[in-house]
Amino acid sequence: MTSPDSTAVSCHGIRKSFGTGDTKIDVLRGIQFEAHRGEMTFLVGPSGCGKTTLISVIAGLLDPSEGKVSIFGQQLAKMTSRDQILFRRKNLGFVFQQYNLLPALTAAENAAVPLLAAGVNRSTAVKRSKEILDRLGMASRADNYPRTLSGGQQQRVALARALVHEPRLIICDEPTAALDHKSGESVMELLATSAVHPDRAVVVVTHDNRVFHFADRITHMEDGIITHTEQNPKLQAA
Amino acid sequence: MISLGLQILRYDRAKYIAMVMAIALASFLIQNQASILVAFLGMSGSQIKDVREANLWIMEPDTECFDQAKPLRDTALQTVRGIPGIDWAVPLIKVDTNARTDDGKLRTVTLLGVDGTNRIGEPRMCIGSASPIYLKGNAIVDPGGWELLFPGTSYTPGRSIRIHDQWLTITGISNASPPFTGLPVLHVSDRTAKELIRGETRTTTFIVGRTSQDPDDLSKYISRATNWRAYSREGFQTQSYTFYEGQGVPMIFYITIAIGLTVGAAFTAQTFIMFIKENARGITMLKVLGVTHGQLAVMLAAQALMVMLLGLSLGTGIAAFVTESITSIPFLRGLYIPWQVVALCSAFMALISAVTAAIGFRHVTQLQPVTVFRS
Repeated sequence: MTSPDSTAVSCHGIRKSFGTGDTKIDVLRGIQFEAHRGEMTFLVGPSGCGKTTLISVIAGLLDPSEGKVSIFGQQLAKMTSRDQILFRRKNLGFVFQQYNLLPALTAAENAAVPLLAAGVNRSTAVKRSKEILDRLGMASRADNYPRTLSGGQQQRVALARALVHEPRLIICDEPTAALDHKSGESVMELLATSAVHPDRAVVVVTHDNRVFHFADRITHMEDGIITHTEQNPKLQAA
Repeated sequence: MISLGLQILRYDRAKYIAMVMAIALASFLIQNQASILVAFLGMSGSQIKDVREANLWIMEPDTECFDQAKPLRDTALQTVRGIPGIDWAVPLIKVDTNARTDDGKLRTVTLLGVDGTNRIGEPRMCIGSASPIYLKGNAIVDPGGWELLFPGTSYTPGRSIRIHDQWLTITGISNASPPFTGLPVLHVSDRTAKELIRGETRTTTFIVGRTSQDPDDLSKYISRATNWRAYSREGFQTQSYTFYEGQGVPMIFYITIAIGLTVGAAFTAQTFIMFIKENARGITMLKVLGVTHGQLAVMLAAQALMVMLLGLSLGTGIAAFVTESITSIPFLRGLYIPWQVVALCSAFMALISAVTAAIGFRHVTQLQPVTVFRS
């Protein structure tokens, strides 16, 4: 069981609608969701059930129509837009389905972007990103441009970018969707070993049931609501 | 973040080069056309400037510029010399006439008759000495004039031209400033000039003089007190410049400069917006990762500045090269790019870049970070 102070992400009564009147669509309909430090929480469900909208709300990229979101005890809704950006820069890391690497930058430079955004000087930032890439088995490809890397390698660079500034919450959106099974397995393995940390929570949106065994906790969504949450037996045993 | 922005810009080579070339083209057109305009209008006062000793010019009231001068009565000289404040005054003959070269070519030339007593108005020399012109039947010609009269030949003493059945021997090449008309400038003595235009009742075109008083004040006094028009040296240069400006000469240059500005601004802005739109996903991703609008503004400003500096340098370089190349054409030998033209062009390019960056920034602020999750 997890203690209340281990809660990294807490969503209460989150509703999100798009459009008005007849065209109004309720995407999230009263979501209660929690993610905990030291755990990898999977958010699963069919396409269109609202998973991506929920992580967008958690990341502060979308404002909920109703409800309260707390990240490490802080409510993003109460922050100014600039403070939200600075909070996101410091505390959040992202891994996307399509990697979203900048083609003009090398792997090391891509991974260094969060540090550069935080004002770290270029050489220090690139040095730090190379260390992370080394941990992820990408040292030899650090100076390569994304176009010369395979999908799996690009996703590792994206993972390095998500880890380089040591955020307390990592949000992954379908990180294995564009990868073959072997590469997907490898990326999830790295995510589990490198990203999960006692003071860090990892939220993974996926519908790839081949990687469910990496989850500590799986939250199921359907039609904008959480249907149920199940815990990994290993975690339950602990 | 600045180096990151520049790296992103350089990566999209096609657009990067297109923007630099647009700025370069605009810079070149503006500097080239403005320089030629300045040079042309400057040439309107060339021969006034060349009479270094005089600071006062007196002429017929109908005279509108140096090239459209009406002759004075020959008694005017004595009258002018009697005006209080005039230190000295001498006649200067200027007439456009036809000349036939010793190999049969017919050309219109500008004939300047220099006062043989005081040698006021005698030009500086490139080749040879000015002294032989005070002997009957000798003349000196400017470099452009030589090229027009004897194309493709280098100067050789003894070539001759015929004006009104009298032969003149070219004894040297003067350093006379290129005239606005583009005609060869022949310097002869006033005595030779009078012989060549015999039959004319009036031979003195200008009276040039010097005063120790303020030449502007004295010229105003002369204009009021006599029936003639008088200017200070600078005043007459300005009058000649204004005359050509009033004839619409600058209009064609203004149009070309406007085209340069429009093409530069439109093409650069459009390409930069395309660059922003094509990199929208990357920029959105930067916003998600916590890059602030301020940092993005700095990135865009750096990109616009880079394009401006490269384009401006390239355009200025090409303009300088072209200017240097065409100054070998004798009539354009006075052409140069004034620093004011470079400064003004730089200001225009900076304005184009600033507006472009501002438009780009407006697009960037409209990018929604949440879209980055859409595959």
